Amino acid sequence: MADRSDLKAELERKKQRLAQIREEKKRREEERKKKESEMLQRTENVSEDSDLDRKRRETEALLQSIGISPEPPLVPTPMSPSSQSVSPPSETGSQESIDGGTVGRYRTLQWDTDPSALQLLADSVHGCRMQRLGASKIVQIDFMPKELVTYCKETQTPVASDQPEEEEDEELSVTKSEPVPQQLEEESSQEAEEVHPRELTNEEKEQIVHSEDFLFFFDRSIRVMERVLAEDTDIFFDYSGRDMQDKEGDMQAGSNLSFNRHFYDEHWSKHRVVTSLDWSPQYPELLVASYNTNEDAPHEPDGVVLVWNMKFKKMTPEYIFHCQSSVMSVGFAQFHPNLVIGGTYSGQIALWDNRSHRRTPVQRTPLSATAHTHPVYCVNVVGTQNANNLITVSTDGKMCSWSLDMLSQPQESMELIYNKSKPVAVTCMAFPASDVNNYVVGSEEGTVYTASRHGSKAGIGEMFDGHQGPVTGISCHNAVGPVDFSHLFTTSSFDWTVKLWSTKHNKPLYSFEDNADYVYDVMWSPVHPALFATVDGNGRLDLWNLNNYTEVPSASVTVEGGCALNRVRWASGGREVAVGDSEGRVWIYDVGEQLAVPHTDDWSKFARTLMEIRANRGDGEEEGVLELPA
Amino acid sequence: MAEVEDTLKRIQGINGVIGTIVVNAEGIPIKTTLDNSTTVQYAGLLHQLTMKARSTVRDIDPQNDLTFLRIRSKKHEIMVSTDKEYLLIVIQNPAE
Repeated sequence: MADRSDLKAELERKKQRLAQIREEKKRREEERKKKESEMLQRTENVSEDSDLDRKRRETEALLQSIGISPEPPLVPTPMSPSSQSVSPPSETGSQESIDGGTVGRYRTLQWDTDPSALQLLADSVHGCRMQRLGASKIVQIDFMPKELVTYCKETQTPVASDQPEEEEDEELSVTKSEPVPQQLEEESSQEAEEVHPRELTNEEKEQIVHSEDFLFFFDRSIRVMERVLAEDTDIFFDYSGRDMQDKEGDMQAGSNLSFNRHFYDEHWSKHRVVTSLDWSPQYPELLVASYNTNEDAPHEPDGVVLVWNMKFKKMTPEYIFHCQSSVMSVGFAQFHPNLVIGGTYSGQIALWDNRSHRRTPVQRTPLSATAHTHPVYCVNVVGTQNANNLITVSTDGKMCSWSLDMLSQPQESMELIYNKSKPVAVTCMAFPASDVNNYVVGSEEGTVYTASRHGSKAGIGEMFDGHQGPVTGISCHNAVGPVDFSHLFTTSSFDWTVKLWSTKHNKPLYSFEDNADYVYDVMWSPVHPALFATVDGNGRLDLWNLNNYTEVPSASVTVEGGCALNRVRWASGGREVAVGDSEGRVWIYDVGEQLAVPHTDDWSKFARTLMEIRANRGDGEEEGVLELPA
Repeated sequence: MAEVEDTLKRIQGINGVIGTIVVNAEGIPIKTTLDNSTTVQYAGLLHQLTMKARSTVRDIDPQNDLTFLRIRSKKHEIMVSTDKEYLLIVIQNPAE
């Protein structure tokens, strides 16, 4: 009996134990399955032998995360064919194909690198542990190559913008957002760098400059750079002139007339008007300027003459000369490089010599009736090296001729009387090029006269009537070229006009009416046949090129300060213009090549221009024009 | 080195030269004859342009490299001599 009960107990125990074992076994099975599937998944993840595999796994993971369980309805269908055929497990590709016989609950999509065999391992839903291997439908998904997206700084868009909803786009946008933060980083680093330049210290700079590398670079580069800079030919010059038309405005204002420097001396030039200017014939860089009295400084000498030097940058005059009376006109003695001649307000002519150390004149003409008793506005040395004379004319109409060696009395003197009645009050005088006998004078009444020194018609010759105000400046054409224009002269006057005359006609050829104030001076260019400069009371310096326009100046500039400009003088090379103003400043302007340098055809062009002018004028007024014997 | 200074002064003294700037590889001016703001502006802009020009040259032919860049505008001419590390910039008014 006890045996039976014992046996029963034992049996029951055994049953329980069996049940337990079975349960354990089940649990273990499950666990194992889990582990195995995990392992499988892990092994999948570990052995990535292709991008494609990785992508597939990523897709899987994404799909799973979303909740789309990888249960493609395809599973049952390929099952049937696969159940029949046992495809050779391609060991190359699939990592786990066979050993996952007990993969179990988790469906994993096993993608084989060999697309010919796609193995879907079914699970134990159907309780089937047998692995069905077989060919299945190939679903090929193409992944586009990763786009290299680059952004320029300007088109940078903020990252947190719209995220597209499609899966592939999501993946792509994931890759996109990676380069974008990189760009942002670069930007910020660049900005940091831009801030950085200001922080490079002097020591660092010195260090760099002394480094071997830098010296090597510098040596090489400087060589090339100097060569480039030395070539000053304008390779872009357009001979058709089209460029010039476009930028005529710029070119006119800019390179045609540009400020070079100005001369001013605090002590000697202040509050004095520049009354006269002259360039030295021997040393083209020397410029002499005469000044009248300084009312604010009564104890200073009334007349000051300063010789300035263009060549050097110093701001002080080369020579300073005084005189007891205001100097109204000044000039370098043409054939005596050391002498400066000045005509004064008192009628005296003063002669300064830069060999002596005195600032006062070395010679002076006497204040007598034989010489001048009125202000001398014109002094001029004419003649040749051996036979030269100083010609001076004062406002009482007296013309005196002197020898520079002896200024105690004039060699000859003459009263300039017109029509044997009234003397001419001469304000300006000019000799035509290479003429020592005949000259032209302008008067206070606005009439212009020709005069001659010797000969049967000594004295005033013809009268030229045209200006309505005193004539302030007169200039004879002195550019030497194939065509002779020495019969031309221009005059400027208080009547706001500049007139062009020929000695052959007693009426002006042309009147330039562009100014809005007294025109104080005019001068022809010494090299260009059709170019002359004028200055007026508004501070304007105009360059007229008659071959371009006759209505308006070809170049114009207003001097700073707006002072009236009293005198204008071309340098002997024709490239610079000196202008003197009413505040004691002398301004030097450079004239651009296009304007200043004449072309060979400019002479013929000017001849044509003259003919046109004459023709136009001939249409207008015919009366009163007297053809004067040459 | 005094030579560098003298040479730069000589360049600056050539008629028409407006300014000279030496820039390092990062676009930071090392030596200049212009005022600070202009220098910084020129250095930054020309450095970027030079980088772009260099990359252009090298894209066309990777063995090639940029050595000299010359920009001619209506008013000025900017010349940039360059190598791997530095830029020498000279601004000139070519009308003279």
